[in-house]
Amino acid sequence: MQFAVMCCMLFFGQNSWSQRPVTLSIFNESTAVPYDNLINTPIHPGVQIGTEFHWKESKHFRLYPSISVGYMFHRKLFQGVYANLELGLDYKTSFGLNLKSKIGLGYLHTFSTQQEFQFNNGEYRSGRDKGNSRLMPSFTTGLGYRFNPKKNDSSELFLLYQSWLEYPYSPGFIPLMAHTNLHLGLKFYPFEKNER
Amino acid sequence: MGKMFQLLLLSFVCACTEKDEVFEASFYECKSIESNNLQHPLTNAMDVLAEDFINKGVPGIMISVRNSEGQYTVSKGKSDLASDMDLKPCNSTRVGSTVKTFTAVTILKLQEEGLLELDDPISTYLPSAVFEEIANAEKSTIRQLLNHSSGIHNYIQDAKFQTASLNNLIKEWQPEELLAYSRGQNAYFAIGTDVRYSNTNYILLGMIIEAVTGIPFYEVFKEKLFRPLDLNHTSFAATDPVPDGIIRGYIDLYSNLNLINATYYSGWDYYSADGGLISNTSDLSLFLEKLFQGELLSETSLSEMMDWIAPNDQDKNGFETFYGLGIFQIITDYGPAYLHSGDAIGYFASMVYFPNQDITISWACNANYGKIDAIVQSKEAMEQIFKSLVGPNPIFKK
Repeated sequence: MQFAVMCCMLFFGQNSWSQRPVTLSIFNESTAVPYDNLINTPIHPGVQIGTEFHWKESKHFRLYPSISVGYMFHRKLFQGVYANLELGLDYKTSFGLNLKSKIGLGYLHTFSTQQEFQFNNGEYRSGRDKGNSRLMPSFTTGLGYRFNPKKNDSSELFLLYQSWLEYPYSPGFIPLMAHTNLHLGLKFYPFEKNER
Repeated sequence: MGKMFQLLLLSFVCACTEKDEVFEASFYECKSIESNNLQHPLTNAMDVLAEDFINKGVPGIMISVRNSEGQYTVSKGKSDLASDMDLKPCNSTRVGSTVKTFTAVTILKLQEEGLLELDDPISTYLPSAVFEEIANAEKSTIRQLLNHSSGIHNYIQDAKFQTASLNNLIKEWQPEELLAYSRGQNAYFAIGTDVRYSNTNYILLGMIIEAVTGIPFYEVFKEKLFRPLDLNHTSFAATDPVPDGIIRGYIDLYSNLNLINATYYSGWDYYSADGGLISNTSDLSLFLEKLFQGELLSETSLSEMMDWIAPNDQDKNGFETFYGLGIFQIITDYGPAYLHSGDAIGYFASMVYFPNQDITISWACNANYGKIDAIVQSKEAMEQIFKSLVGPNPIFKK
């Protein structure tokens, strides 16, 4: 909760958009045991957009909150929209490579990708799926590359391996489900020039 | 603005949702069961039972009994929710692990023919590459695979397999791919010191059948069991994984009785002898009755099949259970019963024979997981069935 409040303060408190990056990534979602495989097939596509906030930074370390929203489509199983709050820690090298890690907590709303039959008054009828509410705690590791290592607002290409849990999953049957998302994305500063 | 966003999101989600195929009635036509005795004294009890399951949330159910009064099969509910088709007693469904009894009977018949010995280690018949890195496999005997005393890890309980299976629900798995999930895993116990159910045992048994006969194990099933017993509604998935007319299967994945079609999701058991059977309750009852009335195996083989072993720890929530060769003995309020059940994704079936009453009961439904399992698979559900059909005062036809 405190983390969410802090993010809101950072989001609304920063008076200039010029310092605010946009992170955009495409990813492959899979139901998988984390760190078993890097790439799982078939590809279940997803897209995520978000931003990061400045919090604490030293020569080699950067600690930052971030928020993101996204959509994923897992063929035959589910499709979901989510909003995610994360706290990231980057280790920056002088040659532009960043070692990245994040912990997060998100809200996910899943819908079936198939026609759903709902039981009412003793019979099944095709019905509109209202979806299921889920929590999605996550842990992410990965690499980033800043194109201009000397600039704080350098664009960055990143590859992130996000492992996350879907909870609750199937109460009384499967309590939670493990997923992984492999993100390929770009952080950039689209508002920078306009405000100068 | 918020409402507009919700509307857009909903439209997008709906656009990405697949609709089920809708079939004509002719798609589910099947050869009716000639021996169905509509005057059977248990018809009323079975109708009441089946109706009760439907009212609780099972989409479709069929129940068969065979005893001295003949055989009767009742079906209630739907074979296909999108097409709104009534389930028929002759429709075919997936019956999952009930195939293990067929596998065991086939192995015993092959022993009778002198093609194998139950107490030979499986390394006598299979190349080492097959069981490499599967703990306990090399030294386990065929008998220990059959009665689950090998201690071999069950691939189906492996979290990596379960998530991989969900990740690609329409993948058709080959036996070697399934065995890979048991490689490098610890055995549950030292060979012969306990019993624990493992699908991996039965994949290996299917391979042994193929090694000693030189033909696919499911062709051996056909030759030795399906044809001689006239099991006209029974086949194995490998020959036609989703045959025309098979009823649609559904899963309650999120435990809320909101079902989705899972007819194409059982690809992990199409090609291995631990699942993959397509049949119906009429055929299952016929098979089980013939087995325990001594028409399939010699007295010696049947006696070996029923050499019961108790697990070191009984499941306190279930019936007291003993392991035989491809069959279990459970202790019910009405005496012992010989049983095997099976799940495929979207399907469940169970077959049970009560020796004291000489009655065979089978039931199958086209849904599982979530809340459905408690309705048809739980001890309470089975007690309800046994009380209605085997109990001292079954609800006879009025």
